[in-house]
Amino acid sequence: MPKLTIDNRSIDVPPGTKVIDAAEQLGIMIPRFCYHPALGSVGACRVCAVKVLEGRAKGIKMSCMLDAEDGMVVSTTDAEVVDYRRYVIEWLMLNHPHDCPVCDEGGHCLLQDTTVSGGHGLRRYQGPKRTHNDQDLGPLVQHEMNRCIQCYRCVRYYREYTGYEDLGVMGIGRRVYYGRFQDGTLESPFAGNLTDVCPTGVYTDKPSRFKGRRWDFERTPGICIHCSLGCAITVDARYREVVRHEARFNPFVNGHFICDRGRYGYPYASAAERPWQAALDGQSIDGPTALQAAADRLTAVAAEHGSRAVAVAGSTRCSLEAMAELSRACRGQGWRGPVFFEETRHARAVGTAANHLLSGPAVGLPAVEAADLVIVAGVDPVHEAPMLALALRQAWRRGAAVVIVDPRPVALPFDFAHRPLPPGAIGPWLEGLGGAAPVDDNKDQDDLGRRFRESDHPVIVAGTDILPAAALAQAADLAAGRVAAGQKAGLFCILPGPNAFGAALLDEDHDGLGQVIADIESGAVKALVLVESDAAWRYPNQARLANALARLDLLIVLDYLASPVVEAAHVFLPTTTVYESGGVFINSGGRAQQAVTALRGGRPITQTGQGGHPPRVFEPDIPGAGQQAAWAVVRALAAAVAGEASPGDLSPLEDLGQLHPALTVITPAPLPPEGLIVTGGFSSLPTEPEAVASDAGDAPGLEIVWTERIFGSEPLAARAPALRELQETPFLLIGEGEAAAWQLADGAMVAIGAGEPPWKLVVRVVTDMADGIVVLPRLPGWQQVVLPDGRLQPEDIHQRS
Amino acid sequence: MLTEELRTALEAKIAGAAHPQEYVVDVLFALQDHYGHLTDEAVAEAAQLVGMPVVAVEELTTFYPFLYREPVGRYVINVCDSVVCWMDGHESLQNHLMERLGIAMGETTADGLFTLLPVCCIGYCDRAPAILVNKKVYGELTPEKLDDLLETLRREAE
Amino acid sequence: MTTTYPQILFQNRHADRIATLEEYAASGGYEALRQMIAGGDRAQVQAAIQEATLLGRGGAAFPMGIKLSTVAADAPFPRYLVCNADEMEPGTFKDRVLLHADPHQLIEGMVLTGFAIQAAKGIIFIRPEYENAARILEREVALARQAGYLGEKILGSDFSFEIDVHRSGGRYICGEVTAQLNALMGKRPNPQQPPPYPTESGLWGRPTVIQNVETLSCVPHIVRNGAQWFKDLALTESGAGTKLFAVSGHVNRPGCYELPMGVPLSEIIEEHAGGMRPGSEFKACLPGGASTQFLTRQFYDIPMDFDSLKKAGHRLGTGAIMIFDHKTCMVAATLNLMDFFARESCGWCTPCREGLPYIRDLLQRIERGEGEAAFIPMLEEMSKYLWNAYCAFAPGAVSPLQGLLTYFRDEVEEHITAHRCPFQASGSGALDNRSQTD
Repeated sequence: MPKLTIDNRSIDVPPGTKVIDAAEQLGIMIPRFCYHPALGSVGACRVCAVKVLEGRAKGIKMSCMLDAEDGMVVSTTDAEVVDYRRYVIEWLMLNHPHDCPVCDEGGHCLLQDTTVSGGHGLRRYQGPKRTHNDQDLGPLVQHEMNRCIQCYRCVRYYREYTGYEDLGVMGIGRRVYYGRFQDGTLESPFAGNLTDVCPTGVYTDKPSRFKGRRWDFERTPGICIHCSLGCAITVDARYREVVRHEARFNPFVNGHFICDRGRYGYPYASAAERPWQAALDGQSIDGPTALQAAADRLTAVAAEHGSRAVAVAGSTRCSLEAMAELSRACRGQGWRGPVFFEETRHARAVGTAANHLLSGPAVGLPAVEAADLVIVAGVDPVHEAPMLALALRQAWRRGAAVVIVDPRPVALPFDFAHRPLPPGAIGPWLEGLGGAAPVDDNKDQDDLGRRFRESDHPVIVAGTDILPAAALAQAADLAAGRVAAGQKAGLFCILPGPNAFGAALLDEDHDGLGQVIADIESGAVKALVLVESDAAWRYPNQARLANALARLDLLIVLDYLASPVVEAAHVFLPTTTVYESGGVFINSGGRAQQAVTALRGGRPITQTGQGGHPPRVFEPDIPGAGQQAAWAVVRALAAAVAGEASPGDLSPLEDLGQLHPALTVITPAPLPPEGLIVTGGFSSLPTEPEAVASDAGDAPGLEIVWTERIFGSEPLAARAPALRELQETPFLLIGEGEAAAWQLADGAMVAIGAGEPPWKLVVRVVTDMADGIVVLPRLPGWQQVVLPDGRLQPEDIHQRS
Repeated sequence: MLTEELRTALEAKIAGAAHPQEYVVDVLFALQDHYGHLTDEAVAEAAQLVGMPVVAVEELTTFYPFLYREPVGRYVINVCDSVVCWMDGHESLQNHLMERLGIAMGETTADGLFTLLPVCCIGYCDRAPAILVNKKVYGELTPEKLDDLLETLRREAE
Repeated sequence: MTTTYPQILFQNRHADRIATLEEYAASGGYEALRQMIAGGDRAQVQAAIQEATLLGRGGAAFPMGIKLSTVAADAPFPRYLVCNADEMEPGTFKDRVLLHADPHQLIEGMVLTGFAIQAAKGIIFIRPEYENAARILEREVALARQAGYLGEKILGSDFSFEIDVHRSGGRYICGEVTAQLNALMGKRPNPQQPPPYPTESGLWGRPTVIQNVETLSCVPHIVRNGAQWFKDLALTESGAGTKLFAVSGHVNRPGCYELPMGVPLSEIIEEHAGGMRPGSEFKACLPGGASTQFLTRQFYDIPMDFDSLKKAGHRLGTGAIMIFDHKTCMVAATLNLMDFFARESCGWCTPCREGLPYIRDLLQRIERGEGEAAFIPMLEEMSKYLWNAYCAFAPGAVSPLQGLLTYFRDEVEEHITAHRCPFQASGSGALDNRSQTD
């Protein structure tokens, strides 16, 4: 352990530590532009200069390029090196505009901070500034090259870290230009990080342009709820509106970066169509009256048909607080539920995954990054959990092999092996890797099995969207088997939704919404309470759902999103978003994380004032405010039904252990910044494998694999106008043989399903796909497609062109 | 569009290479000769031929001074402005050229014959001041010699 | 009377044509290769080079023998040899003359060096301005291959070695070793700070030795005639071998002269280059290309070898001597050089990318009579701080500026106090019409 002295303070650091990092550990923040902990050292900007007083090489050195040595004495405050850094800043400012007061990046700018702190306050250079033309980089990232200080961070991040190839550095000398070959949308779904990575304002967040500057924002630590990874974000709010997400560093989850879905997915919270107002039988009404009406009608249904005639359904985007109150309400009032999954298979698969994660070798994304072999089963990383794709790339950059076992064609920004097996065959294949006889005679698998057994710290990543529950158990057993054999194997799962883990713990019987609908159809359920439910978005048979809802005596809907079920509700009760009430979400690694309340709610000033400020109508209350968090509404409703005078003021996080033993660790006290791992409680989830999907051999047609897309599938971010621009045209992926048999040509436009208007898709004939399947995306319109048996027949395809 | 002949020739050259991208500059020179300058199409074709992202090729075309992303004249005149040529009258030579051709450095004559570009140093300091015309050297130049040279080139072009 | 010295590299030089393979062979060419191939002792080649203290002629003067020794015995294959024919240092043209005089000594030198490090391939990286030389090399390489000196199983041995000619797209920075390797790999030619050193991990991650044309051309002569012979060629104890001096500027006979290491500067100017032009008096010279400091009258008799200049606080560089007469404005001359360096900076690091245009701007203002007294300390500070750039480009670039501030400070001050260039009347001063072409 080298021991060195920096500014008269000593520190021991591991060998290979750079002086810039050693200083940071002492709390000495050496200025930097090109250096970034995730990108490493390149020595380009020269602003991290220090003076080595004692050491092998003395004098001015770049602290990012300098390994700490034992006995080294370093000064960051030596007069000469301070002057040198001041010159570096002056050089960087030669061509930089002097427009900080009106610059988008002002107040958010490392160059601005460093210029002020570095002592460069007087412009001496009298020559002309070089200028550039900017490019249109698409709807997410604004380009402004005149602000560039040529630190090379953007291309290093974009090309090396994320592996996408359409951003480069052109030109030479002081004309160096960062951009694309031609104008056009950046291809990387991680491009938004450029706005964080850039130390100045070359890349800024386009949707949040002109919405304010950093000092205008209320900035709070948040948790991204656009997939199950739970990346850390900073929420920027202004004028009662979330206007920007930034990536927030979390070493246990996302590291420094986030994906573009997470960064730009927030506009749902201030969408004009957001239902702000309670409604009774389609008429707007004040919240308390609506709540009382809902309670009265629930009491009436229960009185007539029994309390089990009332069913309750939430979703995986409910906070843990809401889930807990739903659970308590059902227990207290004898209602059915709650259920959280739209499809029974997801309820089973996630339940199985959670069960194994609680007791097995669960790991997080950092372990994926550090793995020497990653087997990814039943996940399309970019589309289901985007940051997983970046973690896999980092593993690959460090030499790991990545194997994707998935029926779909999968695109990733690095080299990997792809085994296109049908969903039902993946579990047995994983089992085969563990040492049992290979399920097919593929030599490939023998080799992989050997490599898996010989690897030092492999990770199995398993998805719950397309895999049956049995496969999750098999994936978990594979990892656990290696751990039992003394290896450092890990299990990582991808779940459908930000709080799917919590849902699995509090799900009543793991049957999902399908069972509730069946119970409505049988007449057993007469009233349904949908709480922030995605039934109208994700339930795969919308015609059946609509019919079932129409049979209900009472439909109560609590939500902050507009949807057909909100329209259909007898009683609608508005709820708050995560920004307005915060909440705990348990990510796919079992890490409970708390989002902090970011703003107080109410309609954005842009809506109440129609863009003018201040609003011209003055009211004592915040316009549009008055909604409550779903948990509070549920509790109030249950209290009203029970005839209690008040819902009480206990925290919804009190006594969670009574709901599930694994939740005992979570208390009303604020969670630590890094969250808490839920563990320890052995679950009573069903572990018996369900029947593996029958071999497709006999059944006519092709098995449909519905697949998530990064933009357009997830119900919250799909409402963001900027992301909607990036949504793909819906497609139908079909194998070469099947396409020939069905007379489908690549690029042809077709329509499928019975919906009106018909769902139009472009045919893509592909080769790297499992036999016997077609792939269809969950992109808007998919809900209209009614294909009850989950199979596609040639006659389902019409309007061929 | 590339001629089939040129494409085949370039593919053959690249085919034997362990690392096709080592030929990227050669391919770019060949396409530049073919098109006159490197059009967007040429850059994309070069990228495809050597298996590099198109922006990675653009990173090179914008770096090297002998790769032209804009149209150039039939004769590219590189005027050496090294300190040695400067001592020997580069400046008046350059002024003379600009005046005779009616263009500034970096420009091309309207008839598409001549482009003036600076270069340093062309390594003919023993024959300063010197210029290159389509990579061929002319040294110990005087205004009179330059006029003769321009005249010869104009005749050659007809 | 001009003193005559043994001509080694130029022994087959003709005024009007290139030496043929036959002429080269008749003068003892490819003898060394035959001996070494027959003896099969790779270590002997390296030992001879090391003992001869052959210093790199490209400007850095790094001992070639030591460089070869850093290719570890168990280093991976294939290994590469790169010949740096990217001569672009302003004032330097020795490699061009050498390639046009007797190209086979380079080819033999490359095969011998390739043999020493067990390389499979040699690449000559040549600048686009030397298209003619590139064609000569391609032709002569083919002839050498036909003659069995190159290609599969050279001279019947089990050693095979190929030479490719790689044309560059231009740019001064490509002469920098690591930038050149990046260029060869189709990457942007930015330098890459070691470690790893190219001899460990160079081209395509393999051990790679890079040497200058002149350096490699010395190799056959050293191997054939012995290290002591080579050392004895020099006039000084500290020198070894001959050196190609490319002399230009205000002298009567600018040209490239092969002279012993350690020959006095005054002798080069007065005898070999024919003295100063009529009406010209020696004021200063750049002794080794644009990235060296001005040598003034006080150094007029200095022995021209790497060591002597180093001791005097100077660098021999490439041995390209540019001679300025008393009518030359040194501010304007330095401005010309800064213009070059600012234009050629690759743009990787801040001091070089931004500092050089800044310096150029200040010098231009001084030259135009718009200078301020405050500019001088700024120039001094920047010329010091540019040494803390990423690669050796910026330190080289500010060398003439440091020379200007050290030896011609009064001239700079005169520009500032008089608000004009004192040499303007002489005609070779102001650069007002200069286009900023970076």
